Amino acid sequence: MIKEKKKVSRFELLMDAGFGAQKAGDILISAFADTGKYVYIEPMIPAEISPPPRTRPALSGVIIRVADFDITNIGNDADVILASHEIVLDRRLDDEETNPNCRVLLDMGDKPGNEEIYEMVCKRLAVLGLSIFPFQIDAQAKAMIKSMGGSGSNMYYLGMLAAIYLTSPEVVKSKIIKTFGKKLKEDILNKNLTIFEHGYAYAQEHIPFAFEINSRRAEGEKILIDGNTSLSMGIIDAGFKLFSGYPITPASSIMHTLAKNFSNYGGMVHQAEDEIAAIGTAIGAYFSGVPAITCTSGPGLSLKQEFIGYASAAEIPIVIIDAQRSGPSTGMPTKTEQSDLPAVIFGCHGDNTKIVLSVANVIDCFYAPQMARYLAEKLRLPIFIMTDFQTANSYKIIDKLKVNEITNINEIPDFVFERFHIQRLPENIEMVRAVQSIPGMPGAMRRVTGLNTDKEGKINYFSKTNQRSHAVRNHKVHLVKRALTKPEMFGKEEGELLIVGWGSTRGAIEEAMNLCQIDGLPVSGMHLKIVHPLPMMLKEMFSKFNRVVTVEVAYGDDIKPPPLAMLLRAETLMDIRGMIARATGRPIRPKGIYGTAKEYLHEYANTR
Amino acid sequence: MSTQIQDKPSGQPLTLKDLHIENPRWCAGCGDFGIIAAIKRFMVDQQMVAAQTVNVSGIGCSGRAPNYINAYGAHTIHGRPITVALGLALARPDLHIFIHSGDGDALSIGGNHLIHGINKNFKCVFLLYDNELYALTKSQTSPTTRKGHATNTQPFGTLLEPINPVRTALGLGASFVASTTDWMPDHLASTLGAAFQHSGFAFVHISQRCPHFDAENFDHKSSSWFSFLKHPNGIAPDKRLTDKTECIEHNPSDIEAAFRYSNAERRYYGLFFQDKNKPRYDQILHDLVEKAEKKPRSKILDRYQLE
Repeated sequence: MIKEKKKVSRFELLMDAGFGAQKAGDILISAFADTGKYVYIEPMIPAEISPPPRTRPALSGVIIRVADFDITNIGNDADVILASHEIVLDRRLDDEETNPNCRVLLDMGDKPGNEEIYEMVCKRLAVLGLSIFPFQIDAQAKAMIKSMGGSGSNMYYLGMLAAIYLTSPEVVKSKIIKTFGKKLKEDILNKNLTIFEHGYAYAQEHIPFAFEINSRRAEGEKILIDGNTSLSMGIIDAGFKLFSGYPITPASSIMHTLAKNFSNYGGMVHQAEDEIAAIGTAIGAYFSGVPAITCTSGPGLSLKQEFIGYASAAEIPIVIIDAQRSGPSTGMPTKTEQSDLPAVIFGCHGDNTKIVLSVANVIDCFYAPQMARYLAEKLRLPIFIMTDFQTANSYKIIDKLKVNEITNINEIPDFVFERFHIQRLPENIEMVRAVQSIPGMPGAMRRVTGLNTDKEGKINYFSKTNQRSHAVRNHKVHLVKRALTKPEMFGKEEGELLIVGWGSTRGAIEEAMNLCQIDGLPVSGMHLKIVHPLPMMLKEMFSKFNRVVTVEVAYGDDIKPPPLAMLLRAETLMDIRGMIARATGRPIRPKGIYGTAKEYLHEYANTR
Repeated sequence: MSTQIQDKPSGQPLTLKDLHIENPRWCAGCGDFGIIAAIKRFMVDQQMVAAQTVNVSGIGCSGRAPNYINAYGAHTIHGRPITVALGLALARPDLHIFIHSGDGDALSIGGNHLIHGINKNFKCVFLLYDNELYALTKSQTSPTTRKGHATNTQPFGTLLEPINPVRTALGLGASFVASTTDWMPDHLASTLGAAFQHSGFAFVHISQRCPHFDAENFDHKSSSWFSFLKHPNGIAPDKRLTDKTECIEHNPSDIEAAFRYSNAERRYYGLFFQDKNKPRYDQILHDLVEKAEKKPRSKILDRYQLE
């Protein structure tokens, strides 16, 4: 084995769904984590439970990025791919996420009987210039896998990857025991451990390369957490008491996590009969003074829209998490996208008044529920937290977060406001109805309605009253606009090109800007967390650049600007276009931003 | 999860005047007047704490009811009052919840919620204002419009046989199914009383007149076309009408007989069915939270900590 020192490396394990690729990935990253490395992991999950094996839709796997520094995103291309057979490999090659010198480890176990396809895929690798390392699971390990009904090959691959990434087999084995110890019988567990050892030994002996990544993690307590778990824990920390949801990918795992844990903290999880009922029940709870939250994805967002409009008209606080996936319609349930922005901001009929937060990473996920609860109760408007499949399912190592144990919104500390680039709102905020009592309070009984009302809450269809209601609701949104501070910038506050993104693209923008700065390029980045309303000073900030573009995981072309670009155009009357506006289901890569930015600069220099 | 509740601050008894807000904007002769009058009467008789009472409604003529009763209220969106009411029941078990829904609201656009509200059996009084057509949108066919009746959407006569609300509720496993009318104040009040006492989802069907769009429906001046179901465990027949029509002995625990009466050509008013032991979803969830091991929030991230 030739050891190659690396600061950062990305690799993938590709298997058929249901054979434990993600489990192997989880074990490996917890071993990495224990040995002081930084990791970021993104699962690749098919939309079906068990698509037929050895088919393209069966592709299931993990992408792991490991580094000796804190990483903010899944990065660029693979250095190593380990594939359980040629079909999942062929499918994954379509995504074009390999380094020119990517090493491909291909299990040839299925080759007999499938020679032609194997030849074809190997040819494809040769055309791409990738080096191939064919291997086979040895007979003894194979027999054990057979004895366990076909499962356990993931342990062999885990062993190979652990060896290639020079990870102590003892640490990995302790993680296997921790993962399966209680669930598997001793003999089965031992078989898994033995298969792992076989894979490890095989790679040590036969794979001619290995990667050494330093263990440089700073001291202090660390946690390993994914976006949806972080949001779930954030919901508990923010003091919500009722979670009401309906199963939908990728939002469901929030409900799963809370279903297991919420009651330990006095919270209730309600699984509603449909998406509409889920938000209706949360609205009912918040009307009665109990903080309630609902979450959804894709089609569920469309179904909830009428109640969202009702909540703004009736002035009932409500927080909605939208875990975005690829649309329209059912689209690609297990792929990431940022296309819900217009539907979230403008989705209901009539005038829309709401506040839209987005999360960039697992830390934002933890604090967003507090920020949303603050805004919901201060403004009595619907508040959105927008995440996406990528953020929801990727996890990374972070410093252990400060837990705030909020019961009342006045207890939310300043650093949460700073994280979302917003100041506290004024003490008294005018509502459409002067009285906002909650059921049970005597002497202040009131009826809420989606109909227009006057200040006293009486149904009223007079022109002036309706105009006032609109003004009051919109003024609440304007208060937020005025309270927004400068969004986060990467690089100088002036230059040739400004690249703007929101939500999950932050990590890629930050990393790309680091690359640009090394080259001394006049490019800066900006990231927005609150995307509606937008801050007042945006136009002024944009005017310090010759060109402003966006990067979005959403469709756009020469004629149609992608969603964020459309919003920014309307906000600033500047010619803002999508520099990267792709709805491929794959996250934007730092290298992609860096490369396209260079092209833009070049093009701009030539046309000036 | 509950909030501290005080009684009526003055300590004075609740009166009809306390419950009055404004004159309803319903048509003259509308059956809805009778229904809210009975509710108010009932609240006064029971000396209920108005501030602890929440009227939740959907859309339609019936949807306006909460706006005419001085208690708490939520006039929600079309077909979804059950969902909002459930939120109140889960968050605040101390509240008394009345749901006001129409035949279109409950059986058409909100049918799914009716199925699950009945199945969840959370504590509330569910009032189905059944005028057998859409009225607020100006005379369209509803799920309960009688076959042949001409409306604006089916001008050559309503095309299908109507859905039978009582049979539907029984079929869905409702723990309490009663039927009454807007023009029998005594029977309506007794029905409200029985429904309010019921521990679960009390389904109350109310035949409601709509003189504006369907004056010939429900001959409220005669009583020969219906019978009362009576039983010591049931609801007493309307005092004014006991000797004017048939009163049939029916044990409300007899589900088979309840189905038979619901299936009959003839109309029956009274308590069809009651099961006092059906588990309540709201109670189950509250117990689950109550009995869960209490953990400090300060440690919520500990389980994700690296060694």
